[in-house]
Amino acid sequence: MTDETKKKLEDKIVGLVKEYDGKKRFKPVDIVKEMEKEFADEGLSKDDIKSVLKEIMNDEKLVYGYAGGSFLTLPDNKG
Amino acid sequence: MGKKHETPLLDELKKGKWVSFVREIERAAEKSERTEDLLGQVENSYRDKITHWKHGGMAGVRGYGAGLVGRFTEFPEKYPGVKECHSMRVNQTSGFFYNSDILRKIADIAEQHAGGLLNLHGSTGDIQILGVWQAEAEEAFQKCAELGFDLGGGGSDLRTPSCCVGPARCEFANYDTLQICYDMTQAFQDEMHRPSFNYKFKLKFSGCSNDCVAAASRSDMAFIGTWKDKIKINQDEVKNYVKKFNVQKYVLDKCPTKCMLFEGENLVIDDSNCVKCMHCINEMPKALRSGDEKGLSILLGAKAPLVTGPRLGMMLVPFYDVLEDSKNDYEWLKGLISNMWEFWDEYGVSRERIGELMQRVGVVTFLEGIGLEPIPEMVNHPRGNPFIKFTDDED
Amino acid sequence: MPEEVKKKRITDIGPHDFHDYLPPVIKKNYGKWAYHEILDTGSMVHVAENGDKIYTVRMGSPRLVSGSFVRDLCDMADKYCGGYLRFTTRNNVEFLLDDENNIEPLKKDLEKLGYNVGGIGNVVANIVHTQGWVHCHTSASDASGVVKAVMDELYEYFVEDKLPSKVRIAFACCLNMCGSVASSDIAIMGMHRKVPKIDSEKILNLCEIPSTIAACPTNSIRPDTIDGKQTVKINDETCVFCGSCYTVCPAMPIADSLNDGISIWVGGKVSNARTKPTFSKLVIPFIPNDPPRWPKVVEAVKTIITAYKNGAEPGERVVEWIERIGWTRFFKITGFEFTKYHVDDFRLAETTMNYSSQVRF
Repeated sequence: MTDETKKKLEDKIVGLVKEYDGKKRFKPVDIVKEMEKEFADEGLSKDDIKSVLKEIMNDEKLVYGYAGGSFLTLPDNKG
Repeated sequence: MGKKHETPLLDELKKGKWVSFVREIERAAEKSERTEDLLGQVENSYRDKITHWKHGGMAGVRGYGAGLVGRFTEFPEKYPGVKECHSMRVNQTSGFFYNSDILRKIADIAEQHAGGLLNLHGSTGDIQILGVWQAEAEEAFQKCAELGFDLGGGGSDLRTPSCCVGPARCEFANYDTLQICYDMTQAFQDEMHRPSFNYKFKLKFSGCSNDCVAAASRSDMAFIGTWKDKIKINQDEVKNYVKKFNVQKYVLDKCPTKCMLFEGENLVIDDSNCVKCMHCINEMPKALRSGDEKGLSILLGAKAPLVTGPRLGMMLVPFYDVLEDSKNDYEWLKGLISNMWEFWDEYGVSRERIGELMQRVGVVTFLEGIGLEPIPEMVNHPRGNPFIKFTDDED
Repeated sequence: MPEEVKKKRITDIGPHDFHDYLPPVIKKNYGKWAYHEILDTGSMVHVAENGDKIYTVRMGSPRLVSGSFVRDLCDMADKYCGGYLRFTTRNNVEFLLDDENNIEPLKKDLEKLGYNVGGIGNVVANIVHTQGWVHCHTSASDASGVVKAVMDELYEYFVEDKLPSKVRIAFACCLNMCGSVASSDIAIMGMHRKVPKIDSEKILNLCEIPSTIAACPTNSIRPDTIDGKQTVKINDETCVFCGSCYTVCPAMPIADSLNDGISIWVGGKVSNARTKPTFSKLVIPFIPNDPPRWPKVVEAVKTIITAYKNGAEPGERVVEWIERIGWTRFFKITGFEFTKYHVDDFRLAETTMNYSSQVRF
């Protein structure tokens, strides 16, 4: 995965969560599935996507929420 | 020091012979001031007959979606000490073995960075440190990590695996429950800390079919120790037991397959009809022992009622040679688990446990999906109705 | 760069390796135990193939414990067993001794500190339980309080071996069932009995409508619109008060101080010994919450234990006794009322009916 693809993927994931903030709770499993389709042409594997997601979470660009099941959300939703 | 909150109802639970949790909360409050407000809040619930913990609100440590369970009071002004009262799940050791040195250090963390209260242990198996505030979560986590203890699972992820005491202190253990529990926990760290499943997934390891961790009633994948060859009989010890109690009535007659009989004074077992239920071995541990060809059975799909009803574990793999596979870094088992998770990823819906998915799509479809053949061990009896969906692949 | 930023964060290390906490006699005889003997309800000995012995002294615990409790255990472990101890899956504490002579002094010291030594053999084992009002937002009842009241009443059965077989009691404060309750000899479970209240003002902010609808096991939740705002409605006729929707949607609270309470179930089992594992079955559908000591719950559990003690043959678990005498007689002996709630009308219910002419009169 090139740095460029990685950046694109990262922006896409964070962008989606931002866009649907308060409307939809993205479960990590759904995000990974969706990105797999979206980036099919670039040949990204599930593990690639998961590793980018891990970095997003480590940098706290997004955080995990929980309501019956886990989902991704914006850090300022915290508290 | 005067009490911050009067607790007449809780005080009633300090009476009686059984060790009192109210006394424990009070002792914790002596070391950690915030826990005084927990006493107040719980007394309030006892008065109102309802919980006063709020639903919602988030808590966590950086990068993890598991390990810290958020908890907030409905009355932050009245009970500021429990405005946040999160619990930190700390991954227990296999078999819950500790020494005094490490437990004192964990108690220090609980008193310095939380409410001085612990669950030893939580239902799934973790050590839980109660009364953590978000601002201290990272420090408490790292202090545990410095002691070699990571956080446990939570949310839609692999929950903290747990196991029975196993070969460490039990002659019934048919495999090393502690080692495989440790190895699987290490192998799936990412799946534990970063939720990426449809819902929770539990692994539990019991060394024999007495199932002391209740694996087959609550874990998606239950590993139950068993053996393939003959029960080993010490005839002299059998004779000693015969002197002590009615072995015919309480052991032989209770065998579910009636596969045991006395020939003269000698006990004879038809091992081909033994279902490894453990009854005779439980009753006469000095006389009987499981065989040499040991391994485990894998049962699938046990879970609690939500969402579509409770399930017990269903026989999936009658015999897995764990010792052999462990030499290969559990290649076969990891393959099976990963097939299962992929099928679940692909076809499962949100909050659907793997047992519920199997029920929804049908056992046969599920087996095809994960690459296993249907075998008679999986059923109580073959189908009793004629509504068969024949497929073309028979030709 | 400040010191704390430079320090590397530790993640993904898993649990501490258990080998570091095994007593020497266990390390030496790992996997080589030959047999065990129960000495009394508070102690047992495991004997290795080479004759080595390890003694276990077991004590009960309320599971919710203070740092001071932990230090008490550590002091005892240091004094009598080289600092080694473990916990059981039922939240007991086990001290691991290599010297038989330390058993009685340790027991005396523990009792002096107010702890309960016992729990081995044909006893009422420590009650596995959940968080309740102490720490949970979905609970229909407290957990620790009910457990304390029941164990006070059954104390004699924890310290003395006088039951036909072991009795495992578990407590869950709602249907989420965090405790392993469903397969216990006696299961005590918190129940909600009213339809969740929908907070239509907050629902859009707090919840995701589709996942809320999907959370319902009986498809009783439908989308709705009030004053042009999206919300949900519940079919009161089909709701079974499970609280699954509240789990995913905080705007649908189900707890109700007047209508929540406790149900009692019997005859579950996880062990495969003799008979297959099975779920606990309903005995009492509802007892109102009655803190601080839930006397009716305590009385019901005592009634079951007494009937079992009087009726079961040695070695019979609760379910084996009931299946031998039949459920009809179980209800007669205990005096509990058989109601419409005892007939299963949920999914797969028909498998629980009696398809035979076999009846006991």
